[in-house]
Amino acid sequence: MIDETAVALPQEGLSSDLPETELSSEISEQDLLEQDLSEQDVPKRQKQKYHSAKTGAIVSKVFIYFVLVLYATIILLPFLIVIITSLKTWEDARSLVFTWIPPQGFTLEGYSMAFNEYANVDAALPMLLSGFFNTLLYILPPTLIGLFTSSLSAYAFSKLRFRAKKWMYPALLATMMIPGTIMIVPQFSIYDMIGWVDTPLPLMIPGMFGAAACVFFMRQFYAGIPDSLVEAAKLDGLGYFGIFFKIMVPLSVPALLAQGLLGFIGGYNDYLGPLMYLQSSDLYTLQIALRDVAGTYGDNMPNVAMAASIIALIPMLIVYFFTQRYFISGIVSSGLKD
Amino acid sequence: MEQVYEDPADVALAEGLGLDAPKETDSEMTEKIPVKSPKKRFKIDLEEIYGTAFAAVPLIGFLIFGAIPLVLAFAMAFLDIPGYSIDGAEWAGFDNFVYIFEDPLFGESILNTIILGASTFISQIFALAIAYLLSRDIKGRGIWRIIYFIPYVCSVVAITLMWRNIFNPSFGIINQILGKGGLGNGAINWLGEPGLYYVTVIIMSVWSGMGYGILLYSAALTNVNQSSIEAAKIDGAGPFTQFFRIVLPSVSPTTFYLLIMGVIGLLQAFAVTNVLTPNGGPDNQGVTIVFYMYRYIMEYDGKMGVASAAAWVLTALILAVTGLQFLGSRRWVKYD
Repeated sequence: MIDETAVALPQEGLSSDLPETELSSEISEQDLLEQDLSEQDVPKRQKQKYHSAKTGAIVSKVFIYFVLVLYATIILLPFLIVIITSLKTWEDARSLVFTWIPPQGFTLEGYSMAFNEYANVDAALPMLLSGFFNTLLYILPPTLIGLFTSSLSAYAFSKLRFRAKKWMYPALLATMMIPGTIMIVPQFSIYDMIGWVDTPLPLMIPGMFGAAACVFFMRQFYAGIPDSLVEAAKLDGLGYFGIFFKIMVPLSVPALLAQGLLGFIGGYNDYLGPLMYLQSSDLYTLQIALRDVAGTYGDNMPNVAMAASIIALIPMLIVYFFTQRYFISGIVSSGLKD
Repeated sequence: MEQVYEDPADVALAEGLGLDAPKETDSEMTEKIPVKSPKKRFKIDLEEIYGTAFAAVPLIGFLIFGAIPLVLAFAMAFLDIPGYSIDGAEWAGFDNFVYIFEDPLFGESILNTIILGASTFISQIFALAIAYLLSRDIKGRGIWRIIYFIPYVCSVVAITLMWRNIFNPSFGIINQILGKGGLGNGAINWLGEPGLYYVTVIIMSVWSGMGYGILLYSAALTNVNQSSIEAAKIDGAGPFTQFFRIVLPSVSPTTFYLLIMGVIGLLQAFAVTNVLTPNGGPDNQGVTIVFYMYRYIMEYDGKMGVASAAAWVLTALILAVTGLQFLGSRRWVKYD
């Protein structure tokens, strides 16, 4: 069962989280809070009455915000450090004294060098760019087609009657239990036999058949769509595909988006698969290209390696910030399986 | 045992007396009525066909890309395979197993995997603590959560390269903050010193692994029964008692899920140590089981059988650990 409140979690934003007047002025010193304290026109006597109880609450509030800010800093600070490093000259980046404002000034040198790394002399695009486009090329088709096959399967499991359902669904769920890396040896051997090694096909074709986890998630979602709706559509003469496209898909856009995003991020950040199967450097995905560029410059010119890392991170971060609502709800609900 | 009433009069009597009328009669009767016209029967068959076909696609995918390799994975461990293809492979008996168990590096790779896997427990404890704070009356819950989840969406390669820079013994900022920077004299060699290398990798893994736990725990904490907390408060339970007696048990299914998934994931760890130290790290401490397999697939020719044998051991390990967790879970996981 997917809990409604859990799925709706990320939608609660800054606004309606707590009663306005409950916090004291001490906390407002934390600049991250934008609370309105002007409404604290409580009579003084009443205020004193609550004083001791409130002090404890205030202390615990201060503590909570202190920890939250500290942890946010631990998460964000490394990014800041690396962004600064990427904007330094290589001398400054290797300096034995870390400077927040580099003595030689900020420069885009690292970025231009990272973008000047080509896979080979014939390459039309710099490695990071071709890596980025390769990634999209390899990831989008299996993500979209896999989403389609998974949700079609989920629709069948949830709304259609067929005899094989009894054993097919448990069988599908059982496949989720098998850890993927166990199969890497024979898979490599098989793909080698059929000539798929050094092509992106091993990264693309299997995903197009759908993923058990996605079927599971979508089936949970479709269970919430009333059967009567499907029956009514059937009476109106819609076929089984028609019901799927005209009823199920439009009603499940957020869930599909969440699953699509999860699939996309998994593919975008995949490392072992591309590392094994893509051997010619013009086929590299962004991650492997990044590894290559960073390997070339490494510790000698950390500014270039860091610039390349930032370049590789930016597209995903943009996707994340624009879609985090779906994203987070997708993660939460796929993690809450019974 | 339910009583079966054959006679309609008996049924009526039973109903009149307020007894449970046998429900089977209903369905039996409808089934016996031959209402199905030929056309309708055809339609039902259509649903059968469409349903099976729609549902089957992911299973067919698994059969081709999962089941065949799975069977082959077990066979390959007993073969001596020249090159990548199993053409011309010869029966090797238990040679591959003898090889890995005589190879000290394989034993070390198991140890490395387990030590580095400890990060999953650390991540979980911290994640629960942060999620618990987030569940209190605070402002901007959404914003905090977005920040904390950032590492999860970032690629392992980029994140690892970032930390590699930050932990660099000479110009990395960590050593400079600790006053240990510079070349040679007293610089802490985070990535080059055995033992310390584990610490570095665990710090990185906790940093990037916590977001997922925070998210799931946050969701679980919203479902904690507030009235039982209120009741405990009235009974005089302090915040610690409330946490350990009420909150912790009620999020135990999430803890269990995270433990299972975390351990399964970490037993298959590869990317972090491979990017951090492609050569295996100091004393090969970065060589995890999958790293070991990877070497025997990609780097050493004609050793696919060895990699398969290692995969066997990995499978057994995952099964054993997961099984133990399930057995142990009966003691502490509380489903409502």
